Amino acid sequence: MHIPDGFLATPVWATLDVAAAPAVGYLARRAQQGLEQSKVPLLGVMGAFVFAAQMINFPVGMGTSGHLVGAALLAYTLGPAAAGVVLTAILAVQALVFQDGGVLALGANVINMAIAGMLAGYLPMYLWGAGRRRRSAIFLGGFLSVLTAAVLALSELLLSGVAMPAAMLRISLGLFAISAVLEGAITLAIVEALESINPDFVRQPQRSAGWVMTGAGVAAIFLAVVGVAFASTNPDGIWKLADVTGIAPHAKSLFAAPLADYQMGLLQSVWLRKAGAGLAGLGLIYGACVLCGRLLARQRGA
Amino acid sequence: MHHVVLDRWSRGASALHRRDARAKTLAVLVFLIALATAQRSFVALSACYFVILAAVVVAAGLPLGSALKRASVVLPFTAVFAAISLAAGEPMRAASLIAKSYLSALAVLILVSTTPLPELLRGLERMGVPRYLLMVTQFLYRYLFVISEEAQHMRAAAQAKSGSIRVLFNRSKFGAAAGALGVLFARSYGHAEGIHQAMLARGFQGTFRTLAARAFNKADAAFVMAALIVLVGARAAVEAWI
Repeated sequence: MHIPDGFLATPVWATLDVAAAPAVGYLARRAQQGLEQSKVPLLGVMGAFVFAAQMINFPVGMGTSGHLVGAALLAYTLGPAAAGVVLTAILAVQALVFQDGGVLALGANVINMAIAGMLAGYLPMYLWGAGRRRRSAIFLGGFLSVLTAAVLALSELLLSGVAMPAAMLRISLGLFAISAVLEGAITLAIVEALESINPDFVRQPQRSAGWVMTGAGVAAIFLAVVGVAFASTNPDGIWKLADVTGIAPHAKSLFAAPLADYQMGLLQSVWLRKAGAGLAGLGLIYGACVLCGRLLARQRGA
Repeated sequence: MHHVVLDRWSRGASALHRRDARAKTLAVLVFLIALATAQRSFVALSACYFVILAAVVVAAGLPLGSALKRASVVLPFTAVFAAISLAAGEPMRAASLIAKSYLSALAVLILVSTTPLPELLRGLERMGVPRYLLMVTQFLYRYLFVISEEAQHMRAAAQAKSGSIRVLFNRSKFGAAAGALGVLFARSYGHAEGIHQAMLARGFQGTFRTLAARAFNKADAAFVMAALIVLVGARAAVEAWI
């Protein structure tokens, strides 16, 4: 589920953009260190493969079909850092060339799919990939990657105040669960097909960065659970929530700390402040990106 | 195909095509933020921004009708949520979802159809986006067509061999699709190794070289300033008078 621009409230997309920029910078650095030079074309071609794989339909029954999403499969075959970079590149091409997903919402989509979804998908393989439960772990990984990403996207929409009646919410959660089961089954079938072609395609998880991986994966799943629980109990979204609780000024500055000025402008309806705060947000995102680039360059130089 | 048309459009020769990728990226970001943060007098603002974008499309020498049609690919997704909002008794939110997502898509479409993607990515690199990510993106875009074509061939071959008998759940067909993707994966992997060998043979040392690095000249700076004044000014005017 790619969120287009115009769906998320300003505090939501701005926060997620600011959070995604350093995360992607970190993943790019990790991927670059972890793989030898020859892997740059490999990552690009694998991104193209995931795009193309969506053309192959998997018959599910009763005339319907589904297709691969691919986050877990990429994490198994390229490692989590490289998979995050490839998925980010896919989302960027989809947002720019195919108008699938927004540009301001890119941070949200990257966090949902390329980071949280991918990590949640990698976690079972990391924990149980070597043992007897390997097949279940692969299935569970595909399942969790789609479910985590979809639930996070849903809770961000709810948090932004997109209205959704309880019945509708239940239906969409049901649909997410079905597509997650499908992704698990497809991922498992492809991994088995790949291993019969060349057992080296699927990497054994490295045990080096133990608690970081486990922690990040668990955090991603936890975030999804908390997000949907929080958002569905407060269906009016971030704005009304702050008013209702009666601690509006505190809550608003808490939710939108980087753009506190924008909140002031909203309350007083002064356009100048809003424009100023919007530009400040732009500057903030830009600054975060530049900082990442500088850090990367320094790492490379050292 | 969609992206082939965009590629052709992006090689036009209008004044907008000649602007630096960074200038156009900044202008689009200003537009997206001005639109996303708008709350009051929303209908008038959307109409005003729509006219501005349409004027830009015409000025860039792009076919207006097909550009507007292409931007509407966001609408099916948006329409679902707009319908939900409408059913929940919030017609203004439904209108705002449709207008904001459509106008944002149109603005991004103008950016990519006046800037060739390699140039856009180079501009992003100089704006501080990690180079490794952009190199992967560039390879992805380059090989999208190659791998997609292989996938299409495989799909045609599979259809020719197995027909399309619909059954409740066909395990062997599911397995066949997985097998096809496994083969596609292996072929893509092979492609990547061949590409890397070819790059090394031509002296690749870890970065893409470009013939002439574009400078951010005065016209580009003027363009960014003009975009800022027009977009923020239009919003201020609409909010002050309507």
